[in-house]
Amino acid sequence: MTPLRRPPDGRMRAALLALVLALLSVAPASAATHYLLDGSGSQVGFSTDFGNSKITGNFPVSAADLELDFRDVARSNVSVTLDVRSAVASFPFAAQAMKGPKVLDARRHPTIGFRSTRVRRSGNGAVIDGALTLRGVTQPVSLYAVFARPVGSDPGDLDHLIIRLTGAIQRSAFGATGWPDAVGDEVQLDITAWIVRVD
Amino acid sequence: MRFANTAEGYGLLSRVLHWGIALAILGMLGLGTWIDRMTPDLSNFWLFGLHKSIGLTILVLVLVRLAWHRYSPPPVLRAMQHPWELYLARTVHWSLYLLLLAIPLTGWAASSATGIDTLYFDHWTVPPIAPPSESLSDLGFAAHGVLTKMLMLLLLLHIVGALRHGTGPGSALRRMWRG
Ligand code: HEM
Repeated sequence: MTPLRRPPDGRMRAALLALVLALLSVAPASAATHYLLDGSGSQVGFSTDFGNSKITGNFPVSAADLELDFRDVARSNVSVTLDVRSAVASFPFAAQAMKGPKVLDARRHPTIGFRSTRVRRSGNGAVIDGALTLRGVTQPVSLYAVFARPVGSDPGDLDHLIIRLTGAIQRSAFGATGWPDAVGDEVQLDITAWIVRVD
Repeated sequence: MRFANTAEGYGLLSRVLHWGIALAILGMLGLGTWIDRMTPDLSNFWLFGLHKSIGLTILVLVLVRLAWHRYSPPPVLRAMQHPWELYLARTVHWSLYLLLLAIPLTGWAASSATGIDTLYFDHWTVPPIAPPSESLSDLGFAAHGVLTKMLMLLLLLHIVGALRHGTGPGSALRRMWRG
């Protein structure tokens, strides 16, 4: 599959709109479609303030399980699991500090999980309310989701999709409080997951 | 110029180690207090690295000094006016050695417990001596801070004591400087 490394804007947005329309017309009226993670390129990008600079980096998505109902989005379900130990950051100290006991405590909490509780349509995409479990603490989080087609796929082809989720969390809400003076509390998330239809 | 110690005086190695460690310690007390007050940032990270690297060097130099003094014993302390002075001087010396081992070790352990690699002069990764743990790292840094305050106090006693015994020929200070 063609890897998409660009956020869906510009020409992508046009494709996106076409996709949404296609989904509405093509998707069977009945039940939700089951999707799983496709390949290993999916990741969660993050960014937070660090003094006058920024720390950026990403986590690989280790699993994703989605029930997507394009007619009645409220009947959709999304769950995503991240592998904390494989996270990387813009400089090595940041990744180690982040995985260390004062922030994500990867030794005791090697995964981060998100499970949707409510999905509703919003604009071209959907707002996904859910429960994020990080450092063993579960808190409500809302992410904004848009779907895109991999470059080169047919407009009506729903077998392979890209879901992009954006949002922000306050790390202190999860007890990930290390270096509060140096590192920002708000962490911006930008998740790109390639998914494949399995039924 | 004698390299080894004799019953009468300090040899070159002991003297170089003494003043080298002394200079490093004074610099480190200042540097440590300074970095403790700053907020880590990409622009000042190197100061933390520098502090750790000099601290580990001091640890090695203190071990070399202790080993060397087993092999080549330093001159005995001169008799003093009061027996308690000799006793105090010895106590201060041994406490200084203990602190000069305990301070870098607590710094190293606390740094290890943060889960971040400790680099020696930006080049070699020093193995961790404590598992990643927030409480261990807090405890280690607290101990590091308290022990460095004790070191400041003992250094003051050490310097006052040395100066009380004069700076003339045959004085302890002269022996440590000239041999
Ligand atoms: C003889 C050697 C050393 C001396 C004299 C020394 C001295 C100091 C002093 C005075 C402070 C400020 C403490 C406070 O006011 O709370 C400090 C902080 C610190 N030391 Fe050392 N240190 C030594 C060795 C080391 C070593 C070997 C390491 C690590 C490998 C280290 C890591 C640190 C760190 C990371 C801080 C900052 C702690 C914070 O920001 O809370 N030190 N040191």
